[in-house]
Amino acid sequence: MAANLIESIVKILFIFSVNIGFFSPILGWVERKQSALMQDRVGANRADVCGFTLIGLFHPIADAIKVLTKEDFIPEGADRLFHTIAPFISLTPAIITFAVIPFGGQYELFGHHVNLIIADLDVGILFVFAFASLASFGSVLAGWSSNNNWSFLGGLRASAQMLSYEVVMGLNIIGVIMVYGTLRLSQIGAMQADFFNWGIFLQPVGFVLFFTCAIAENKRAPFDVAEAESELVAGYFTEYSGMKFVMFWMGEFLEIVTIGALVTTMFFGAWHLPFVSDQMLLNYFRFAGPNGAASLAIVVNIITFFSKVIFFIWLQMTIRWTLPRFRYDQVMRLGWKMFLPIALINIFITGVVILAK
Amino acid sequence: MGIPIGKLKPKKVRKNIDLTLWERLYIFEIIRGMTVTTKHFMANLVGFVLHAKGKKRNIITVYYPEEKVELPPAYRGRPVLVMRENGKERCVACGLCEKICPASAISIIAEENENGDRYPASYLLDMSRCVFCGFCEEVCPKEAIVMSSEYEGLAKRDRNDLLCTKEMLLRTENSVKGRIEYIRRIYAKCNY
Amino acid sequence: MQLLMFYIFGLGAVLSATLMVTNIKPVTAAMNLIMTMFFLAGIYVLLDAHLIAALQIIVYAGAIMVLFLFVILLLNVHEKEGETARRKVVIQFGSIAIVGSLFIIIAHLAVIYPSAVKVITDTAYEFGTTKAVGKMLFTDFLLPFEIASFLLLAAIVGAVILAKRRIDDSE
Repeated sequence: MAANLIESIVKILFIFSVNIGFFSPILGWVERKQSALMQDRVGANRADVCGFTLIGLFHPIADAIKVLTKEDFIPEGADRLFHTIAPFISLTPAIITFAVIPFGGQYELFGHHVNLIIADLDVGILFVFAFASLASFGSVLAGWSSNNNWSFLGGLRASAQMLSYEVVMGLNIIGVIMVYGTLRLSQIGAMQADFFNWGIFLQPVGFVLFFTCAIAENKRAPFDVAEAESELVAGYFTEYSGMKFVMFWMGEFLEIVTIGALVTTMFFGAWHLPFVSDQMLLNYFRFAGPNGAASLAIVVNIITFFSKVIFFIWLQMTIRWTLPRFRYDQVMRLGWKMFLPIALINIFITGVVILAK
Repeated sequence: MGIPIGKLKPKKVRKNIDLTLWERLYIFEIIRGMTVTTKHFMANLVGFVLHAKGKKRNIITVYYPEEKVELPPAYRGRPVLVMRENGKERCVACGLCEKICPASAISIIAEENENGDRYPASYLLDMSRCVFCGFCEEVCPKEAIVMSSEYEGLAKRDRNDLLCTKEMLLRTENSVKGRIEYIRRIYAKCNY
Repeated sequence: MQLLMFYIFGLGAVLSATLMVTNIKPVTAAMNLIMTMFFLAGIYVLLDAHLIAALQIIVYAGAIMVLFLFVILLLNVHEKEGETARRKVVIQFGSIAIVGSLFIIIAHLAVIYPSAVKVITDTAYEFGTTKAVGKMLFTDFLLPFEIASFLLLAAIVGAVILAKRRIDDSE
């Protein structure tokens, strides 16, 4: 019991520190720096400590100090309660969804069974969806409670967009569930030990659709109609300042990480290196004794998993800084008239193939 | 002379966007666009970490206070007075610049020295009024006032600091050589 | 522990439901309804019905309530409409009391006549899992399931037809 508790606490602390402590501040820097390099610029590099700029890595700290000292502003006529809780609602799902995403296999460590996932739920994917769908409340409430027309339009667009893309995303997931026959994400990950069993080979269309829908769900370019700067100032968070504003951004960045982790888990072999299963890893590290082998394998798992996640973060950033924004009607048409039929056809073909086997 | 009219035809631009099926699929075009941006990203990433000295870098940003842009001679910065070899101004206080200045920024008090040559006893240029039009330079018969490429030090906390006297405006001939040669080319002045 | 959690969830559900009914502001009422859904999902989790809990949040809190909010925001429902509802507060509490007492009576009846209610006890562990629910849906309850899906299909077609006609009329 105590060992279980310690294991859970360690895992939660690990995920929390990786997400809140590493990804969410660093992604702001990554976004600036990567967009700069893609556009032949330099990017943020002016914040320095004793003359060292560390290619701009002090900017997250400077930003944090800046936003913490800013005035927390609630506009006239705004609904104070909802204006305050909206950022929390949009940030929480992004953090919670990581609970059911596995970042490693299952090992025996000091006679204790270690499962590298915080909550190995039977309904893993559905849990992710349940909380992803709640994120839309954050944007809707933020837009509505700000008492601002731009915010309101942004909130409406956000809710409509997220609602329609959730449908397609759910239908894509059904293909994956049919192939692997389980909703448990750790099991889906474990079944991808064989390289040719990775989701990308079994569900290539599903991968493209899921990735696109996930970006649309996250409301980033090319689907950022909800916060389109050129049309709606800043969309649903126009009236936010200081830490609350940053919470929206943190939610967005953490959702990038979550999308990367989900795509990795479902389509790119989760924590597995190509052609290397967990048992083979343990065999490689036999020299370190059973416990040492297990811990080394855990480290390799975690590094593999997060390298894949970082690759997908990079891919999302590249997409965000390459493609121009869709028009609103195009976004809706893409979702309902193109992705939905393709997803349904994908399910049908998957079913036929499974039956034929 | 000039360019033959046949050559002036504009390049053929695809105005009607009738996309081919390949482009309509969009995903391949996305990949094409992303290869372009990724190429830039990778080249700059490598150039960032392993920056070869002396090689022209791809990144076009200028680190302003440390690096400065080399301005072309056609750039009209703040007007300055040109020095003779003996350290005196070239200006003969003819008053043409004062007359033509659209913003009335220049005010000259002329005097004669013992040789009977005119010189400006005081040459006041109010930088808070100057519009950087370059008329003064154009009318000056002696190439005494030219537009230098200086663009710094034009913001002050007090307007009175922007009132420039003759001593503050004097520059050696070498420092504005490029500009003098340039104005000789563009303004066909009678004495050259 | 489980009982304590049940009391927390149950109290929260009842409290937020009451707030939902009595609140003047439509958006606040909708948010309270979402809270109720959440507490209900918590109770489902206590009953080991994880799938139902997840579906509760996805379908009700995630999809339907967003649509509710969407409609409230689009139609711009004012607080006035809420005030007319407040006058009927007696009716509200009366109906709550009636439904609640009905519920209690049914529960007591179930205790008195245990044969009338089918209680699943032997498959306690398997009960709430996705596999168990799926198997039940596609074997024992296939006909109701198909009927429900037909109903939903009819609703979708009806919605499309209604929306389509309105566009045609406006032209």
